[in-house]
Amino acid sequence: MHYLALGMADLPIMSQAQSESLDSPEGSTTFQPRIQVFEPHRASLPKLGPYLTEFWKRRGFAFQLARFADKAEYLESNLGKVWLVLNPLLLAIVYYLLVAVIRGGSKSTTGLTTLAHILIGLFTFYFAQNTINAGAASITAGGRLILNQAFPRTLLVLSSSISAFWQFLPTIPVYVTVVIIGKIFYPATKIPLLSIHYLWVPLIVILLAITSFGLALIFATMNVYFRDTSKLLSYTTRIWLYASPVLWVPTMVHGWHRAILYINPLGPALGATSNVWIEGKAPTGAQFIGMFVWALLAIVFGGYFFISRERDFAVRI
Amino acid sequence: MSSSQMIPVKTASGMVDFPSDMAVRIEDLSITYKVNVDTKRTLKNAVMRASKGEKVRMRTVDAVQHLNLDIPHGSVLGIVGANGAGKSTLMRSIAGIMPPTEGRIIVNGKISTLLALGVGFNPALSGRDNIVLGGLAAGLTREEIDARTDQIVDFAALPEGFIDMPVRTYSSGMYGRVAFSVAVNMTPDILLLDEALSAGDASFKEKSFKRMRELCEEARTIVIVSHALATVTELCDTAIWLHKGKLIAKGEPEDIVDQYLAFLNVGKLPSSMEDM
Repeated sequence: MHYLALGMADLPIMSQAQSESLDSPEGSTTFQPRIQVFEPHRASLPKLGPYLTEFWKRRGFAFQLARFADKAEYLESNLGKVWLVLNPLLLAIVYYLLVAVIRGGSKSTTGLTTLAHILIGLFTFYFAQNTINAGAASITAGGRLILNQAFPRTLLVLSSSISAFWQFLPTIPVYVTVVIIGKIFYPATKIPLLSIHYLWVPLIVILLAITSFGLALIFATMNVYFRDTSKLLSYTTRIWLYASPVLWVPTMVHGWHRAILYINPLGPALGATSNVWIEGKAPTGAQFIGMFVWALLAIVFGGYFFISRERDFAVRI
Repeated sequence: MSSSQMIPVKTASGMVDFPSDMAVRIEDLSITYKVNVDTKRTLKNAVMRASKGEKVRMRTVDAVQHLNLDIPHGSVLGIVGANGAGKSTLMRSIAGIMPPTEGRIIVNGKISTLLALGVGFNPALSGRDNIVLGGLAAGLTREEIDARTDQIVDFAALPEGFIDMPVRTYSSGMYGRVAFSVAVNMTPDILLLDEALSAGDASFKEKSFKRMRELCEEARTIVIVSHALATVTELCDTAIWLHKGKLIAKGEPEDIVDQYLAFLNVGKLPSSMEDM
């Protein structure tokens, strides 16, 4: 029997742990040879190499979590996943009517263009909004998982982003269908049915997804420390929608007012979306630069903000 | 484990030798964290406080203090201690969930944890779906989980059809059985259980004990935190007593439990020995 008398210590707040994997010598064990070393990490970030390796290795968990979250969400609804399309479609019609009323009516051809612009803008904006809102709540919602398992917490935010992407995908055929039907009735409408510039869409979506994921990391971290962040976010994103080129077109702003298109992290991508889908043009150089800069800023700052604090989550949840 | 080899392990302070028959080595471990003592942690409160020039009130918690401990492969370690002793924090630090403030933990082997009952379970999903989620969260591949699913389902022994029903329809016992079954059937090298044996009836408890003994025979390592002291004396070959983050004693489970009960000033009452 050992009796141990230990002294008190005035210690700083926790720092990062280090994780390494080494092979054990031949035949030394019958179990899976995996050595992990957990130590204080004086720098705020853990070693990014092992962290990103673990993140990549466990990506299947994020995909499955997203799949099951979607399954759970629509399990008890009679219309099921139809709501994924119905919800943004109905919202788009409401906004279209609102815009048409405010403008005092419009010609049928421009009316279809306005509807198409609002549709694709709203679908794209909702993709970003869902990524940010669901990502922001993902850490506090995953409390028990965080208390029980060691894994890169960024996977929970990634899972929300994947879920938002799957919700976004079916809205594209809805947009195309509306435009096809619209063009049958109003063939003079200039919205392209097929354009070579549609090839820019995947790049725009990827950059928007990275930007939204980075922002989700920031808000998810804030939500751990301040639990009303996600509530505040629901109002903020509504204002964000009005400040984005969704209910209005980028060409409506001139001069220095155009800055509003670029100081908004989602602005360049939404402007580029309108250019490609409605105008049938490639995104402008400024839009490209804006999209790349925001994606880089969001992922670098969001990643640093989140990863440097994620070891603290288990005591804050 | 009789013949121990040394494994060179890279640490922040350089290479150290780690005995191959050791599952966990804890060296001078201290874990301290700060908690916000404000009732509501909201942005609104933070802004209000900042406008009044008030600081956020924080309290420092010394959850674990200068702990040294070796846990060899194939051993069953029981941890006893009153509420707030640092037992759960220690378990989470071994699992890599909470980082050390000082010291070092070296872990050799794959860890499976059951530190929070019903971990990550989505109540709207079926037990079967939650088994998949639990396995993926533990780092298993989908193929590995699929290969173990029948075994996990059989072990949980839920009433017929329940495994494919939403978890929200489960009783708390059934919920705990699935969680426990996932944890013990992931073929862990090191199994960490925090108050996990209170789930289930007497028959399931016996089955759980049997499964844990099997794991020990396979040279797996188990660390158990339990307020049911009979569990500690019955299952463990070593026990430690933690109090306010400090290691007070280490030794034979019977001795440690006796000391702990004497400290608590209670005898071997059924309420202190068994889960209630």
